[in-house]
Amino acid sequence: MKALRIALVFVALAVLAAVPWFGSDVLIQFGINALLLAVLAQGWNIIGGYTGYASFGNSVFYGLGSYGVGIAMVQWQLPFGVGLAFGVALAVVFAVLLGVPVLRLRGHYFAIATLALAQVMTAIVSNVKLAGQNIGLVLPPLNNDRLFYELSLGLLVLATLTIFWLTRSRFGFGLIAIRENEEGAAVMGVNTTLYKTLAFALSGVFSALAGGIHAYWVTFIDPESAFDISLNVKMIIMAVFGGPGTVLGPVVGAFSLSAISELLSSEITSLAGLFFGVVVVAAVVLMPRGLADMLRRFRKMGWRYFAENIRTHRL
Amino acid sequence: MDLLGQILINGILLGGLYAVMALGLALVWGVLNIVNLAHGAFIMLGAYVSWYLYTYAGIDPFLGLPITAVVMFAIGYGVQRGLLNLIVRAPMFNTLLITFGLEVVLTYLAQLAFSADFRTINPSYAGNSIVLGPVVLPLARLLAFGVAIVLTVGMWLFLLHTKLGRAIRATAQNLVAARLYGVEPRHLYAMTFGIGIALAGMAGGLYGTVSQINPYIGAALTAKSFAISIIGGLDNPLGVIVGGLFLGILESLTALYVGPTYADVASFGVLVLVLIVRPNGLLGKAA
Amino acid sequence: MTAILEIQHVTRRFSGLIAVDDVNFALRRGEILGVIGPNGAGKTTLISLISGTLTPSSGDILFEGRSLARVPAYRRARLGIGRTFQIMRPFPGLSVLDNVAVGALFGRGGGQAQLAQAREQARAQLDFVGLGGNVDQRADELGGPGRKRLELAKALAMQPKVLLCDEVMAGLNLVEIEEVIEVIRKVRDEGISILVIEHVIKAIKSLSDRLLVLHHGEKIAEGEPSSVLANQTVIEAYLGKRRA
Repeated sequence: MKALRIALVFVALAVLAAVPWFGSDVLIQFGINALLLAVLAQGWNIIGGYTGYASFGNSVFYGLGSYGVGIAMVQWQLPFGVGLAFGVALAVVFAVLLGVPVLRLRGHYFAIATLALAQVMTAIVSNVKLAGQNIGLVLPPLNNDRLFYELSLGLLVLATLTIFWLTRSRFGFGLIAIRENEEGAAVMGVNTTLYKTLAFALSGVFSALAGGIHAYWVTFIDPESAFDISLNVKMIIMAVFGGPGTVLGPVVGAFSLSAISELLSSEITSLAGLFFGVVVVAAVVLMPRGLADMLRRFRKMGWRYFAENIRTHRL
Repeated sequence: MDLLGQILINGILLGGLYAVMALGLALVWGVLNIVNLAHGAFIMLGAYVSWYLYTYAGIDPFLGLPITAVVMFAIGYGVQRGLLNLIVRAPMFNTLLITFGLEVVLTYLAQLAFSADFRTINPSYAGNSIVLGPVVLPLARLLAFGVAIVLTVGMWLFLLHTKLGRAIRATAQNLVAARLYGVEPRHLYAMTFGIGIALAGMAGGLYGTVSQINPYIGAALTAKSFAISIIGGLDNPLGVIVGGLFLGILESLTALYVGPTYADVASFGVLVLVLIVRPNGLLGKAA
Repeated sequence: MTAILEIQHVTRRFSGLIAVDDVNFALRRGEILGVIGPNGAGKTTLISLISGTLTPSSGDILFEGRSLARVPAYRRARLGIGRTFQIMRPFPGLSVLDNVAVGALFGRGGGQAQLAQAREQARAQLDFVGLGGNVDQRADELGGPGRKRLELAKALAMQPKVLLCDEVMAGLNLVEIEEVIEVIRKVRDEGISILVIEHVIKAIKSLSDRLLVLHHGEKIAEGEPSSVLANQTVIEAYLGKRRA
C-alpha cells in the first residue's frame, strides 16, 4: 500500500513537472500561482498545523521575501539568488526578533498580534525609501515562465519534504507535543520557546522564498501587493481545507481551491474572492478538520459526517 | 502651543469615534468569547446603510442612526442565530477563521452591490465648525464624538442596570446561569451579537460623516477596533473609551510630529507592545 | 540516606492567597514519600513548583544539591525530574506509543536523537506499566485506568531520577489500585525516588516509606505512616475540630 502511494506521488510529480512543455501559457501561469500558494500553505502548516500556533500574519514573510529580491536586484544590482537569500535573512530576523515575544501569547491573542504585525509592515514599508516607498519597485524583466514554474515546483517539493521530515524527527515531535499540550511538553523536556521560534522562522523561510520568486516573476512590487493581507486567508483556508498537520493536505487544498476559484473567476474577478470567503465559512461549519479527515470519516459515516460536526459544535 | 491644543482636541474627538467603533467588538468578545474578525466589515455595512438613508430618503445621518441600528441589529441577530451559533462550542480558531471568511464575503458582496467608488455622507452643516477660543471644533466630528460618548456610557449603564444587560453579563460567566434568567441561550447570544453589530453599524454611520467609505475599509477598521479593545482592556466596559482616546491622541500626535503616514505604524506598534507587555490592557489586571 | 530533592522554606502566593506556606522537607534517594492533605491543601501547587511550571514566591528547591532557582521546566526535565498530571492530558492526536516516545525523545540529558530508538524505549516502558498491548491505539481512546498508566509510562520514558506522581489512583477501583501500587514499587526498585500525592489513604499508607501532610499550604506532620495517621492534628485537619 505504501509503495503504491509513493509511486502515485512520483507520477503526480512527473506530470506536474512536465506541464510547461505541454500546457498553454495560461495553464503555466495558473500553475505558478497555485504552486506558490501551495508553498505558503505548507509554510503555514509548520507553525499553524504542526505547532498549533495559528499565525494570521505570514504574509509578512512573503512581503519580506518579495522586497528582499526587489531591493537586492533593483537598488544594489545583485543577482536573483542573492536577493532570495537576503529575503530569507530578513524573514528569519523578523521571526526571531518578533516571534519570541509574540509566541508567548495564547491562541487568539497570538492570531491578533500576527494580524497587527502584518498591518504594521505595510505601513512601515510604505515609508522606507530604499523600498521605493508607496510607489514600489520595478524589477528587471525575465521572460521565462517555464523557469519560474519549475522553480516554484522545486520549492513546493522542498517544503513538502521538510514537512515529511518533521513527522519523523525529534524536532517535529516536539512541535506536535507543543500543539497538543504545551505545558506537558515543557515538563517532558521540550524547549518550547526555542522550538516555537524555529517553527515560526522555518515557516517564514518558505513564505519568503515564495514571495521572492513571485516578485521576480511579476517584476513589480509595492507594499499593498507584497504584504497582501488576503494571502493569509488563502493560505490558512487552503491548509485547513486540505488538512492541517498532514503532509499533503495543504498541497491538495491549495490545488483544489485554486482550480475551483479559477473556474469561477473567469467572469468577475471579485467572484473569486467571494468564493474563498464562502468556502471558508462553509468549511469551518461542515468540515472543520479538513479534507483528509472528511475523506476518512465520510467512508464510514456518509452524509451524517457533516451533521455530526455541526451537532458537536453548535450552541 | 495652539497647534498642540488643536491636535489634542482632534485626537479626543477621534477617540470618541474610535471608542464606539470598538464597543460592539468588545461586547461580543467579552460576553460571547467571539473574536469577530469581520467587525470592520459590519462597520462598513452600517456606513452604507446610513449613506442610502441619507442619499435616497434624505434622512439626516445622525437622526437616522436608530434606523441604521435596527437594520444592523437584524442582520447581526440573523448572522449569529443562523451561522455563528453553529460553531460556538468549537475551538477558538474556528471562530477566527469563520469570521475571517465572513469579512471576505461581506467585502466582496459590498463591492458587487455598491461598486468600489468612494462615498461620503455630507449633510449641509457638515462643513461648519464651532470655534472655542484657540481651537476649532468641526461640527460633524463634534456631533460624532457626542453620540459616541452617549452610546458608550449608555451601553455601560445597560449592562449594569437592566435585566437584559445583567442576563448578558451572566451569560458571559455561565451559560447555565443565563437559563436561570429565563432567556433561551441561543436567543440571548443572538441578541448580544445583534447589539454588537448594531453598535458597529452606528459607528459606521458616524464614520461616514467624517471620512470616506468604500467596500474595503473593513479590514483596517477591524484591526483598529482590536487595537482599541485590547489597549483599553476587555475586563472593563469603559476600557474602550480609554483605548479610543489613547489611540486617537496618539495618532494625532504622530501625524503631526512624525508624519501622517506613520499614524498606523504607531497604533499597531502600540498594540503589539500592549499584547506583549500588558495583554489585559491599560484598565485590566496586570498579567 | 542522602536527599535528592530538598524543599527549603518554599512559599507560593497567588495574589493574596497563600497556596504553599513555608514548607520544608526532603525527598531521600530511593524512597517513596507520600503527600496527603485535604482538598486545596496545596499539593498540586507543590508539584508544579518542583517541576518548574510555577516559581516560588520565596524559598528554594535543591535537586542533587544544586538550586533550581532559575532553571526552566524543560531543563529540569532533562536533569531528571519527571511528573504525571492529575488531569491527564495525553497528546490526543498521537498514538499511545508516540505519546511515550515524546518522553524518550526529550527526557534526561536531552533524550534520544532518533525517533526509532525513542519508539523502542517507549515500547519497553509501556510493557513495564502493562500497556504493551495498546501501543498502536490513539491515546484518547484509552479508558481512565489506561490513561493513568500512560501518564506513568510517559514520565518513565524520560528516565527520571525523581518521579512526581499527582493522584495516579483517583477514580480507580481496588484491583486497579493494587496494580498501580505494584508498578510504583517496581519503579522504586529501578532506583527512582518517588513523591506520591494521593487521596486514597489506605493505598498510600501501604505504599509510602514516609508520609507528609499538608493543610492550608502548611506542613502539619511528617514521618512514619502509622504515626502520622494517628496524629491528632492530622485527624482534625481531615475531619474538622471536634466540639468538646
